[in-house]
Amino acid sequence: MSEHAAKLAAPPAVRARPRLTGNARRRVVAVIRLGCLAALATWALATPGFTSPLSLVSLVTTVSLIGCVAVGMTFITLTGNIMSLCLGVTLSCAALVFLAALNLGVIAAFALALAFGIVVTAAQGVLVGLFRANPILVSIAALGLIIGISQIVTHGHRIYPAGQGYMLLKGRVAGVPVEALVFFATVALGQFVLSWTRIGRAMRMVGSNPRAAELAGLAPPVVVTAAYVLAGAFTAVCGVLLAARYGSGDMELGSGYDYSAIAAVLVGGTAIQGGAGSVLRTLVGVTVIAAVQICLLLRGYSEQLQYFITGLIVLGVVMLHTLGERE
Amino acid sequence: MPPVVAVEGVTKRFGANEVLKNVSLAFAAGGIHAICGENGAGKSTLVKILMGVYHVDAGAIFVDGAPAEIHHPQRAQELGIALVAQELSLAPALSVLDNIWLGDRTVPLFHRRAALRERARRALERVGLGELPLDRPVARLSIGQRQLVELARMLAREARVLILDEPTATLSDAEIERIFAALRALKAEGKSILYITHRLGEVFEICDDVSVLRNGALIGTRRTTEIDRATLMEMMLGRPMGEMYPDSAASGGTAVFRVRGLAVPGAVRDFSLEAERGTIVCLAGQVGSGTTDALRALAGLVPDATGAVEVAGQHLTLRSVRKAQAAQVRFISEDRAGEGIFLRLSVGENLVATRLDAYTRFGLLDRPRLGERARALAAAVGVDRARLRSRAGELSGGNQQKLAFGRSIDLGSAGVMLMNEPTRGVDVGARAEIYRLIRDFCARGHAVVLASSDLEEVLGMGDVIVTMYRGRQVGRYRREQATMHRVLADITHPAGAA
Repeated sequence: MSEHAAKLAAPPAVRARPRLTGNARRRVVAVIRLGCLAALATWALATPGFTSPLSLVSLVTTVSLIGCVAVGMTFITLTGNIMSLCLGVTLSCAALVFLAALNLGVIAAFALALAFGIVVTAAQGVLVGLFRANPILVSIAALGLIIGISQIVTHGHRIYPAGQGYMLLKGRVAGVPVEALVFFATVALGQFVLSWTRIGRAMRMVGSNPRAAELAGLAPPVVVTAAYVLAGAFTAVCGVLLAARYGSGDMELGSGYDYSAIAAVLVGGTAIQGGAGSVLRTLVGVTVIAAVQICLLLRGYSEQLQYFITGLIVLGVVMLHTLGERE
Repeated sequence: MPPVVAVEGVTKRFGANEVLKNVSLAFAAGGIHAICGENGAGKSTLVKILMGVYHVDAGAIFVDGAPAEIHHPQRAQELGIALVAQELSLAPALSVLDNIWLGDRTVPLFHRRAALRERARRALERVGLGELPLDRPVARLSIGQRQLVELARMLAREARVLILDEPTATLSDAEIERIFAALRALKAEGKSILYITHRLGEVFEICDDVSVLRNGALIGTRRTTEIDRATLMEMMLGRPMGEMYPDSAASGGTAVFRVRGLAVPGAVRDFSLEAERGTIVCLAGQVGSGTTDALRALAGLVPDATGAVEVAGQHLTLRSVRKAQAAQVRFISEDRAGEGIFLRLSVGENLVATRLDAYTRFGLLDRPRLGERARALAAAVGVDRARLRSRAGELSGGNQQKLAFGRSIDLGSAGVMLMNEPTRGVDVGARAEIYRLIRDFCARGHAVVLASSDLEEVLGMGDVIVTMYRGRQVGRYRREQATMHRVLADITHPAGAA
């Protein structure tokens, strides 16, 4: 009763929750992001053996291999098509194509693997771009198709190289692993396409607003397909590198790579709705993911735990992003 | 008797942006109170505060004279405040009966269905839908009937304060009459009705009081019997009408854009048009009159449009955006987020979006020259250069519209600008600037075709005014022949129309 009377006497002190405007919110998110990076760097440097030449080379190699797929994935995300779940198996298959074709010479084998990756992925790009099929569902369908066909062709057997030319892809040039050189070329090419070419700009436009892009005179199906072509090419490159590295391959070769690549794109901060992001951001994301994986290995944790931790990071990034973008 | 609902000194901020500034209003029982104001004036924010969706930063709400805290929409329901939303909140697959009781927290889990039917029936009778079968799915009702069901739904909850947010925006005249009849009956019952509208005619037709908001501040409250249309308009705009619109400099040159027999199945019949260089043709019509469809068809956006179109003597094939653009026909959409602006791209990138081809060599962008171009365009449309690198999504509606304009400026040669509702979602301050930009297009030799459902805009901007009603062209006036009365009569109930 008295409480009621008190309420009547004084106007209610209505307080609103403190709200941050879009800009301030984004700044907070950026600070959190930098804080996490700093914490990760400290943790990595405190990991025994992390700075040893051996583990640094291993870091560079891991970054390079995941990185090629992640750069490809970035193009799919940027054009507004979220992610592809079949780049891992595309990678495996490209590796098998490369190994099986080595008897034609290493250049022809590489070209065939590249062509395979491009055709398989570009076909999905056509379905997504031209017919507006849901990209995730198309990639799931492709996943089944690719695994199925590869099983039919290989009968599930391991593929061994049909020639020796691949050995030069395993080596080092001036102490730098070939994988790293290839990857840096990939990043440079990817970022160049994005920033300095018309098709790169068009990809971000289509990703940000496909209707507006059409009204601006672009052809979204062509642009989306181009993004998938790049994704397929970069994935095939990774397949070739992996095949050379292990000297043989099966469909398990690329398992986990698509997941790591997705994680890297998300951690890098490319907008999942498309339109905003860059290859350099993905490079940061890949480095984070690879560093975490290597630190966990160095500290003696199992590979299963790597998955768990990567999952946690992805969850954290997704939530951070969601809170940062909420109006 | 105290007012049913009153707000006192209500202030609401979003970040640094004050969207309501110290607003005090009182709503009486048995009265219809109009809230008028341009887009961005704060009407919707006020409604959301009364509905418990937003919380005030300062000030208080009083219900029946006692202070009330409306911290949640359920609290608003308990207090008898109900919103009849602009975007209908009915579930199309459910029956009328189910919709009426949907979301009503007073209905117990185990209820007597017969009693609910009876109460729903009575509520429907009060809005003039007594004959409507209760079991009919809402999907099969007309938009007007849905609006009335929505109203009945609020009555069934014993709401005492009904807030209607632009209830007639998408309705036909007959349907509007039924809504008005229902509202008059409810007023006689002693309900308090808040009527949010853009349409000044409706204010004088059914409202008792009118309050005007502008840029978040209350400009004033008047009895509708005590003011006239011009005064009300000045209160809304904050300046006399004349200052809003730049002078027409129409020279009346050659017709560059000729349309004969344009048809869009189900939307536009036998539409013809001629537009001269340096002039503005306004297509006036209400929602659904076909003005928008005609524009979109001319822009190449409608796949089944037919008709003969000529641009500067050259035949133009319809149904292709690219061909329209190649013929220097540009379309500026009212749906900026949906098809106008790249919200996640920078302001600069937005400005040059349509001219990448001109700055590309061998597939490579000439970024320095593109940047220069963007700076020049920003200056031309009055967007702050310092914002060229910020995301377009952070700009206000008016500034986003300027981006869309900037993109269309300066084609190789003068062409045709098609713009649909160019000031929708643009606040009053930026409006005059948009109008000036449109005149600039004319000065550059473009022909402008502008579709609008805003009468003031049509009369203020049009050198030639074409009125449309239900897909058909009704009248065509030169600037000096057109009057508010004629145009309004044409677009609402033209002589001889069904």
